[in-house]
Amino acid sequence: MKIIYKPLLLFVVFPSIALMAQKPEKDNLVIGVNYYNNNNSTHHLAFKTRSKINGKFKSIPDIKLLVYINNDTEKSNFLGQVITNEVGDAVFLIPPAAKNAWISGPNQTFMAVSEPNKQFDASTGEVAITKAKLKIDTADGRLVHASLLALIDSVWTPISETEVQLGIKRLDANLGLNEILAYTTDSLGAVTAEFKRDSLPGDAKGNLVLVASVVDNETYGNLTAEIIVPWGKYYSHESKFNERTLFARRGLTPLWLELLAYAIVAAVWTIIIYLILQIKKLKRLGV
Amino acid sequence: MEKSAENKIIEDLLPQKFGKQGTIWVIGLFAVCSLGAFAYARQLYYGLEVTSLRDYVSWGIYISNFVFFVAISLVGSLITAVLRLTDVHWSTPLTRIAEIIAVSAISFAGLIIIVDMGRPERFYNLFTHGRLQSPIIWDVVVITTYLFVSLLLLYFPLLPDLKILIRYKERNGKWLQKLYEFLGSFWKDSPQQFKIMNKAIHILSITIIPVAFAIHTVTSWLFATTYRPGWDSTNFGAYFISGAFLVGAGGVLIAMYVFRTHYKLEKYITDDHFNKMGKVVVLLALVYLYFNINEFLVPAFKMKKSEAEHLMDLFTGEFSPVFWFAISASMIVPIIILVFKKGRKPKFAFVAGILVVVGSWFKRYLIVTPTLLHPFLPMHDVPVNYTHYFPSWEEWAIAAGSLAGALLVITFFARIFPIVPIHETITETESNENHL
Repeated sequence: MKIIYKPLLLFVVFPSIALMAQKPEKDNLVIGVNYYNNNNSTHHLAFKTRSKINGKFKSIPDIKLLVYINNDTEKSNFLGQVITNEVGDAVFLIPPAAKNAWISGPNQTFMAVSEPNKQFDASTGEVAITKAKLKIDTADGRLVHASLLALIDSVWTPISETEVQLGIKRLDANLGLNEILAYTTDSLGAVTAEFKRDSLPGDAKGNLVLVASVVDNETYGNLTAEIIVPWGKYYSHESKFNERTLFARRGLTPLWLELLAYAIVAAVWTIIIYLILQIKKLKRLGV
Repeated sequence: MEKSAENKIIEDLLPQKFGKQGTIWVIGLFAVCSLGAFAYARQLYYGLEVTSLRDYVSWGIYISNFVFFVAISLVGSLITAVLRLTDVHWSTPLTRIAEIIAVSAISFAGLIIIVDMGRPERFYNLFTHGRLQSPIIWDVVVITTYLFVSLLLLYFPLLPDLKILIRYKERNGKWLQKLYEFLGSFWKDSPQQFKIMNKAIHILSITIIPVAFAIHTVTSWLFATTYRPGWDSTNFGAYFISGAFLVGAGGVLIAMYVFRTHYKLEKYITDDHFNKMGKVVVLLALVYLYFNINEFLVPAFKMKKSEAEHLMDLFTGEFSPVFWFAISASMIVPIIILVFKKGRKPKFAFVAGILVVVGSWFKRYLIVTPTLLHPFLPMHDVPVNYTHYFPSWEEWAIAAGSLAGALLVITFFARIFPIVPIHETITETESNENHL
């Protein structure tokens, strides 16, 4: 019995020790990086931190990301840090400190590095882009032109066969100039579309903002270019704010509400004052 | 009525000095108040940053406390006015207890609002630049009015008792004697004075009922006129009023037991008072339960997306332990205790009263906080801690300090004035004897 017992004990004890010695496996953190160039003037990076937990991707909040240009080996490449919000998103404006690295070449890489914590190991996300710019202009007959150029061998070269969207800036998204929103650039890197949105409300002067955009392009990232045109319909807003309403400002309270409220308050306080006078009367009776 | 019997009643009901227990109680309350004052000094110095109030939850336990104070103050109108007007005489020994609870609670309701303000030195702007359209101004007006009406309702029935108190000059001491004389030396027990006093009490009893209803309805409108999940309800006025009567009645049960035990008032606050007050609490708890079912069942049946998150947080989510505790402690368990005759004995009724009051405090917390965490239009890019709320130690200390302050007012009132009306007790005893 003793002979059988010992090998059995080994069978039980060794796997248990091995299991105990094994470190708990950490989840894998995925860092998504996107590059945005806005109207050829400012550019920023957008990050998204996610992880596959129980077979489903979930946004991971509160992750500190260190942002680098080119690589994370040199201290001079460090641009700054961001912390992802409650849905795992963060936005980073590329600072002027990145200027020297930015102008050093036509291709750039941006990296985001997370530090290890209890749940995740250190992780890296990056985006590599070729510098590009969009131009937008108009022509007679309400035609809109846009051209896409990329910096290749220090020369701004037209880029063909790339999708460019032409639209009108509205509150939440861009509205197409006509039925078609996206166009493919020709050999000159250009696209042209006709503006067919008559009587579209513009701003106080009837202006509209036309937008050309390249969206989520693997080589150039996200680019936009804007131009203001007086093609909208003049829209005048008639405010009824200053009329007497329940929500109007101080002096414009509805009269009936004022009268009613003051009447109630006055009635109750008349009773209170009457009762206070009764105390005086009681005092007189007691003298 | 024999003179000796009258003297016995007076002797029993005259205010008594703090004993050892009373002194410890007062020191304890002072300590809590001091901690609250220290926390408030920190809040004044560093600003509201020391609290956990942020862009989402801008009304935390300060406003919960405010709603609680306003609610409990309504008991003054229930016991003093409603029962007086309906000629219910058994409540006579409880009227002063109810009124002093009302006065102290409404005073601290006003104070806690100032505590919630980031710039309290601008408080006067509420009066100088208030907008009549704003429910906040309605609240300022009705709270001030209710405080005055309650003070008058406390003062008028006190006048004959003051005359009795003035007779005991040696017992009173110098400053108490001066206070009594200042307040009631003119009272001569003349029929004319009684006529005026009774008329004034009658007018006050009628006036206080709409004012009391207004005060808590307006408080409910502070929430209900705001378009938010959990507050956007037409049921809110009645829901608040019924809850207020319940917590007030619970507070009276506690005060009855404490005063009866501490001042040996078993002859005046009898088992029958607990029996009747217990029945009142059961009725009020059932009414409040009914309004709660209305408040939660209807939106839960429809489960509109905007409401669903809020409701699920209450029923099964982050706030569910507090929610179910509040429902059980403030309504279900007290009903179970008090529905049986044995449960309406003083000790059990006292426990039920405590459950009602504690549960009701948490109920107010649940009315205020979870809704603020679920706005229709959530903010973007806010730090994660904005989306949760747990009060800082300063908030807890200030809230506890205000509760202790209200208890101190009641304690000192009972030290200075008879907590059971002496003159009314003598009159009613005489009337009962005549009936016999």
